[in-house]
Order: sequence, then structure tokens, then C-alpha cells
Amino acid sequence: MKKERRKFKFSPLGIYAVLAYSFLYLPLAVVIVFSFSPTKSIVGFSGFTTRWYIKLFNDEALIAALIHSLQVSLTAVSIAVVVGTSGAFFLVRANFPGKQLFRSLSQLPLILPGIILGIALLILFMNLGFELSMFSILMGHVCFTTPVIMFQVASRLQRLPRSFEYAAKDLGATPVKIFWYVTLPMIRTAIIGGALLAFTMSFDEIIITYFLTGTWTTLPVFIYGMMRFGLSPQVFAISTVVLTFAMVLIVLMAKFTAVREEL
Amino acid sequence: MKSMKELPNNKRGKKRVLFDKPRSYIMGIPIIFWLLIIIITPVILMLIMSFRQKVGYDISNILTLSNYLEILKKPSYVKILLRSFRIALIASTLAIFASYPLAYYISRKIRKGRHLLFMLIIAPLWISYLVRIIAWRAILGNKGLINSTLMALGLIKEPLSFLLYNQFAVAITLTYISIPFVFIPLYTALEKIPVNLIDAARDLGANEFHTFINVILPLCIPGLLTGFMLAFIISLGDYIIPMQLGGTGGMMLGNIIWSQFGFAFNWPLGAALGFILFSIAAVILAITQKFGSREGMLYE
Repeated sequence: MKKERRKFKFSPLGIYAVLAYSFLYLPLAVVIVFSFSPTKSIVGFSGFTTRWYIKLFNDEALIAALIHSLQVSLTAVSIAVVVGTSGAFFLVRANFPGKQLFRSLSQLPLILPGIILGIALLILFMNLGFELSMFSILMGHVCFTTPVIMFQVASRLQRLPRSFEYAAKDLGATPVKIFWYVTLPMIRTAIIGGALLAFTMSFDEIIITYFLTGTWTTLPVFIYGMMRFGLSPQVFAISTVVLTFAMVLIVLMAKFTAVREEL
Repeated sequence: MKSMKELPNNKRGKKRVLFDKPRSYIMGIPIIFWLLIIIITPVILMLIMSFRQKVGYDISNILTLSNYLEILKKPSYVKILLRSFRIALIASTLAIFASYPLAYYISRKIRKGRHLLFMLIIAPLWISYLVRIIAWRAILGNKGLINSTLMALGLIKEPLSFLLYNQFAVAITLTYISIPFVFIPLYTALEKIPVNLIDAARDLGANEFHTFINVILPLCIPGLLTGFMLAFIISLGDYIIPMQLGGTGGMMLGNIIWSQFGFAFNWPLGAALGFILFSIAAVILAITQKFGSREGMLYE
């Protein structure tokens, strides 16, 4: 015990790690602390209030934006689950020329700067003559949620032994039955984990969404609008709500997929 | 790749095929549609748009190179482009230097709770980008944490205005955003190094420092490259952070792209700038695919 404690105390790397974690989490703590501060300015933090949270609940535009965000994220993730999961099967199980190219192109929404997809989709909608609406935002979200689920499921699929499926086939099961009773249960946690991750990203997305927003706004775009008039206590309060919600989703996601495995 | 094409039935190593061929292609239909409609077509349309030209309030259908020439001719655009490179370079370098010791510490020195510590670093990757920007504004602003603390302590009378609305504020926030992206490939690279390799180095008389320099660090290079490139691309294309924390002196490529689609209303020029960014990102990604570590790319 004694040895261990001493080791920790004097390790420069250990001290560095503590500092690094503080650097990562202190800014978030600042947001949470300020959301409970009774004074409007940040100076002179004294006392504790939930006034700003009550104000949030009475802000109809904000509640509407929250509902919009939930609608977009849920719909986008539902579409992405179907497209992404079938895409994962295609990627892992089918053989076709240009597979590497297909993989690289599918990865693009995850690694390209969001601004490129934002303007490219905006130009697409203009060419099609579509108004910016919930639909345009939804397409933007399907764009980046699909590969999230696809690659999570694909990496699970890659590690699955095929023997169970062969056994089911030998026993006379149809491909649909094999999928439903054998394969799906084995990849279910990967799908759920991927969907939770995709939902978290979608609920939070602004870079692409900002280009595709007309009058119909999502929560992050609405918060962004609030920030134009400076950082009010309500901004901190809604940020804290969003932060808590995201944390809960991340913990759930971590439970469903040991993310370390997926790396 | 070529040899695969030559083989009509490339079932090498596969004893049996569960689904027969047509069925396995059916599974690909939704994803191919997705790829064509929301990835490939928009990017092609963006490329075409970049060759068109704004005439009055209209966009002409004649394809020219004029937008690209205009960008090259305008010193202010070139200046912002170079500045974006510089800021992205600083942010990704800082992110590497901040993440590497941390990845080293967690992967090699921690036994218990390693997974939790790992998750705690990559969790910010998914939790509210906007909240993190708000946090940095709350720290660096005139009435922010740093200024109000210093003023309360009586160290300064006027708020320090150099903290916010400049390149420094943008770079530090981009670093903050980039750390998880860099951490994943670094950690993966470090964790994969076999313990007996390090034991061998020790047995041959190398101390911890020499083991690190001669064994561990060289094995991390692909991971370092991947992390650096990801952070660089993400930083280079950001526009919300420079908008919120950069002021006029901290404007980046993303901001001028954004303004073409907003106030300036010159979509062809914006598309050309966007395509330049796309090409830079594509080249960097191709280099990364060739020399970097693939495993660490995000959470694939």
C-alpha cells in the first residue's frame, strides 16, 4: 500500500494526468456551476438558484426546438439503423470489386469537416428546388448517423463466428429465420450501442444542421441563436440539461457496447 | 486489388457462402442509395457549382475557373487560408502533445479502471460540441472565469481583453475539441505494443527512457500520424469556433465559406472554397490511409 501511494505521489506522469483530466472537465464544470448562479454576471458567485431552469420550462420556443431535435434525431437514427445495419452486412459479407473504395466513401461523413457536407447538401436541395425544412435537416442527420451504426455493427459482424449460422442452415432454417433468430441476437447490442451513439451525435449536431436550417430549428441551432445576445444564465442552464442528457446516453451506450472492443 | 478482379469467384478461404450472390447484393441497396444520394451526388453538385459564376442575383450555367482564380488573386483569402493552416497545425500539435503522455500513462501505468479512464477522455467526443464552446467563452470572456477571478483578487483592474476573440482562443478551443480524436489512435497504438518487446529492451539493458525512445515511440508513429491528421482536418474545417471565439482576427476558412452562403450570397465562390477544403481533406486522408494506423480511426 505504502509503496503504491508513494509511487502515485511522485510520478510526474500521474500529476500530468490529473491536470489533463481537469483541463477536460473543468470547463464543463464551469458551465454547470454558472447555471445555478443567481447573479446574471459571472462575477461574484453567491448562493444557489434554480430560477434559470424554471425560466427554461416557460420558454415555448425553446421547448419547441427541443421537440424538433428529438423528432429529427429519432427519425434519423431509425433510418440509420436500417440503412447502417444492412450496409454492415453488405460490407462484411458481400464480395464485390471496389469494396475498399466503398468503405472509404462511407467513412467520409465521419471524417470530413462537417461544413463540406453542409454546403454540399445545401446545394443538392437548391438543385432539387426543396425548401429548407425538417426534411433537409433530417437528410443531413441521416448522412452522418448511418456510418456510425454501420461501422459499429460491421466490426461486431467481422468477429462473429459463422458456425451458428451454418448450423441453423443445416437444420433447415430459411435465411430470414437465420437472421432473426441467430444473427440478430448476436449483433443486437452493437446495433443498440451504435444507435445510442448516433442519437447523441445527432441531438448535438450543429455544423451541418446550421446550413440546412430554415425557420424550423433544432435545439443546438436555437441555443446558438441565444448566444448571439451574450451568455445568459439560461444558456448555461440549457447547456447543463443537454450535457446531463448526453452523459446519460453515453453511459447507456458504454453499457451496450464495450467501446474498447470496437476500436 | 487487381488480382481480386481477375478471379471471377473470389471465394478464397471461404468454404461456403451462406447467402447466394444476388441476395447478398440486396443488402447493399439501401446503403448504395444513401451513398449516391447524400454523399456522392451532393459533392459532385458542389464541384459543378464551384465552376459556375454569380452574375448579378443569378448563377450562370457557363462553367469557368473564375472562382478559383478569384480566390488565388485575393490576398485576403490567401491570408485566411494560410492562417487556417497555421491554427489547425498549432491545435493538432498541441492536442498530440497533450494526449500522448496521457495515453502513455493510461495504457502502460494503470492497471485498474483503465477502461473508465479511457472512456472519460473520449466521452467529450460525443457530448455537446456547443456546450464546450460555451464553456470556453465562459472561461475566456471579459466577464469570464479568468478575468473575474483575477479582478476579484485585485491583480487586474480592467478585464484582459486578449483572452477572447483572437487566434489564441480559437486554437485552445480547437485543441480541446481535438484531444479525444487524437487520443484514440495513440492509445490503441500504445496498447498494442507487446509487453515482451519492452521486457526484451529492459533485459538488454535499456532504461525506461531509452526503451521509450527506441522501442515505444517508433511503434507509435502510425497512430501519431492518424491522430494528427484527424485533428488537423477537423480544426481546418471548423467555422463555429472561430465565429464564436475568433473575432475578426481569428477568422478561418470555414468562416469565409459560411459567409458566401449567408451575407455575401455567392454560392459558386463558396462551393469553390468548399471544394478546396474537400481536396485538402481528401489528400490528407489518403496519406493517412497509406501510412497511418487504420484501427484508431474514430470508433470503427
